[in-house]
Amino acid sequence: MSSRTLSTTASRTYWLGRYLERAGSITRLVSVNANLLMDLPTKLQLGWLPLVEILANQDTYQALYGASGGDAKVISPSSYEKSVTRFLLSDTRNPGSLISVLTYARANARTLRGTLPRAAYEHINDAHSYAKESIQEPLSRTRRSNALQHVVERLQHIDGFLSATMLHDASWQFLRLGNFIERADMTTRIIDLRSSNLLSAQSALAPFSDIQWRSILNSLDAMQGYFISQQNPINQSDVLEFLLKNSELPRSLLRCFSTIRNCLRSLPRNTEPLKLINSMRQQLQRARVHNLKNEKLHRYVGARQKQLSTLHQKITHTYFPDA
Amino acid sequence: MAIQWQDYPADKTWDELICPSGRARKGVAALKRMLGALDDDELKERKYAAELAIRSMGITFTVYSGEQSDTIDREWPFDIIPRLILKTEWDHITKGLIQRVKALNCFIDDIYHQQSILKDGIIPRAYIEKSNDFRPECMGISPTHDTWSHVCGSDLVRDDDGKLYVLEDNLRVPSGVSYMLENREVMKRVFPELFTTNVIHPVNDYPAELAKCLRSLNPNSTSTPQIAVLTPGIYNAAYFEHTYLANAMAAELVEGRDLEVGKDEYLYMRTIRGLVRVDVLYRRIDDTYLDPEVFNADSTLGVAGIMRAWRAGKVALANAPGCGVADDKVIYTYVPDIIRYYLNESPLLSNVPSYRCVEKQHRDFVLDNLDKLVVKPANESGGYGMLIGPKATRKEQNQFAKQIRANPRNYMAQPMLNLSTAPTLIDTHAEPRHLDLRPFILSGASHYVSTGGLTRVAMRKGSIVVNSSQGGGSKDTWVIDT
Repeated sequence: MSSRTLSTTASRTYWLGRYLERAGSITRLVSVNANLLMDLPTKLQLGWLPLVEILANQDTYQALYGASGGDAKVISPSSYEKSVTRFLLSDTRNPGSLISVLTYARANARTLRGTLPRAAYEHINDAHSYAKESIQEPLSRTRRSNALQHVVERLQHIDGFLSATMLHDASWQFLRLGNFIERADMTTRIIDLRSSNLLSAQSALAPFSDIQWRSILNSLDAMQGYFISQQNPINQSDVLEFLLKNSELPRSLLRCFSTIRNCLRSLPRNTEPLKLINSMRQQLQRARVHNLKNEKLHRYVGARQKQLSTLHQKITHTYFPDA
Repeated sequence: MAIQWQDYPADKTWDELICPSGRARKGVAALKRMLGALDDDELKERKYAAELAIRSMGITFTVYSGEQSDTIDREWPFDIIPRLILKTEWDHITKGLIQRVKALNCFIDDIYHQQSILKDGIIPRAYIEKSNDFRPECMGISPTHDTWSHVCGSDLVRDDDGKLYVLEDNLRVPSGVSYMLENREVMKRVFPELFTTNVIHPVNDYPAELAKCLRSLNPNSTSTPQIAVLTPGIYNAAYFEHTYLANAMAAELVEGRDLEVGKDEYLYMRTIRGLVRVDVLYRRIDDTYLDPEVFNADSTLGVAGIMRAWRAGKVALANAPGCGVADDKVIYTYVPDIIRYYLNESPLLSNVPSYRCVEKQHRDFVLDNLDKLVVKPANESGGYGMLIGPKATRKEQNQFAKQIRANPRNYMAQPMLNLSTAPTLIDTHAEPRHLDLRPFILSGASHYVSTGGLTRVAMRKGSIVVNSSQGGGSKDTWVIDT
């Protein structure tokens, strides 16, 4: 393995990995949410705002759409659909929107033409242009759903292309580190925010609680895997166990931790970050998560996010302090 | 209708492929026959195949637009009809170019040491001292092999009478070689059959020769020196080339911010393993941006302290700072004298006849003949600040006369050459278009000249502007046995 990988190259591939992963998360979350809302009674008031919390900065949203966004008690949740989806998908003023994230990914890929396979930039450029052209207001639900599907496919194509053609050297490990740190972070966010407003099993709306867990699984491409692996009907403790601790689910927290550990193992000067991820992973393996509820779950997941952020800092500090 | 060779006007200027009589020049007959046998659809197919190859190979150059974020990569404009040069002529050109670059390197080394050429009165001292590209900071430095310009791109043109001239020597940071290499790859995809019927000398040894040249500059005692290519970054027009060469040489592509000079005055790059020493830096940024400690203090492209590291002999810089002193258009006029002075040989290649405006007799002639001459400023490159007399208005000529009188040192003039042409595919016809040729000369422990070079062609009818940023294209250049 090349030991000469420049710090800036490592930093750019790392962030490329994060942006590509984030673009996929945004796209999936918006799609899944649209589906979820069709199955829920409107009085549940779940609406679109939770997505803003998961994916972006609430203040940015308020600043941009506050006036028209209005008060949740007055306006029906679906009326947020337009503003939130626009904010999350096509609004260039939101640094966390799909189009912004793809723009950063493209800019990074452009500077990495000596590192990535030649066609990688073209594929990423293509995903960016496609998103830019196809996700424009006014956007009907059908067209949006269609376009998001295509964006996801393009992103998956990029993943597969890079994996199949790129040298699996240090740069590749940084790309994967970016992918999986972002993925782990997103998995925790989705679990956190989606479960915080879960319906209590005792309420009259209990039947819909199930639907919410389904949507969490869907957001993480984990529905089919759940049934194959758990062989149980959907229920909170099995879903939590599956999403946090399953070793085979590509988006489970444990799986992300394991992949991050493997990436770090093959990098030089890995003592500090490797020590951290090893202990994160062991803690997670030992943890009893299936009974976590409400505040406890929120605290548990929050602590994982903090660890991930520390890990990010350690990686940055070790490999690209000035980049 | 395809290419109708009998209608091709080869009698207007010197044509590289076709004689005035309409017959193919020596070595060209097979190509001419083969092109003539293609019908419109086949021609279009080949042209499309070339465009496709260029796109899929990602051969681009960068065009500046207002905002940086809008800077775009354009696909490289390419003409599928190659330009041919006989091996016998090329051998002569190779010798002439090496002679020239050798002498120029002697000159630069002399200027930064004894300055005997000035003391002997061959070149007036004032020319050097007033040159924008003379760097007093380089005085007394002795780079490996006493060689300063390791990569030189000289522009060759042919006039009406078929005679070849050196138009200028780019001794600082010449670009274009990656396009020379890629053009050949494109041609192999588009006309594979031609490569089996002709003996076309390969060009792809250039990156290996460049790596060899750079390795030979290693000032440190490592057996395999670490080579890095310093680029100003992705917004530079030649960024494609920088990545291309770094990849082809297995060198690191770095920007200024990847580098630092240590307390030990060695040059280091920041890697994931920590600092790694760089022994040879092939720098693709201008002198003035190289070191904010010494030159432009605002430069963020360079590396603070790199001049100290170079002076201490701890890193080799290719090309060495200060080469521009020989790149000056007025110094150019002395190249034949420089060859005679240092090598005691007569020049094998001709200079374009030139007039120095600082000399009264020359100046008077230039001022009287502004409508016939091309006047060039001494220190500009890329065709900036030039007067093309025959195409200028009276007012522009008068304006220029004023500038020449005010600062004669800064100008030289040449007769306007009628650049030679070669058949170029326009739609589905062949039409003559003007062109030049830029071969690349490497100087380290030994010398090497690229096989052929980059042929640039003015795609607009009658134009002699070959720059890619101004509607220029390029052709593959074949050095052939007959």
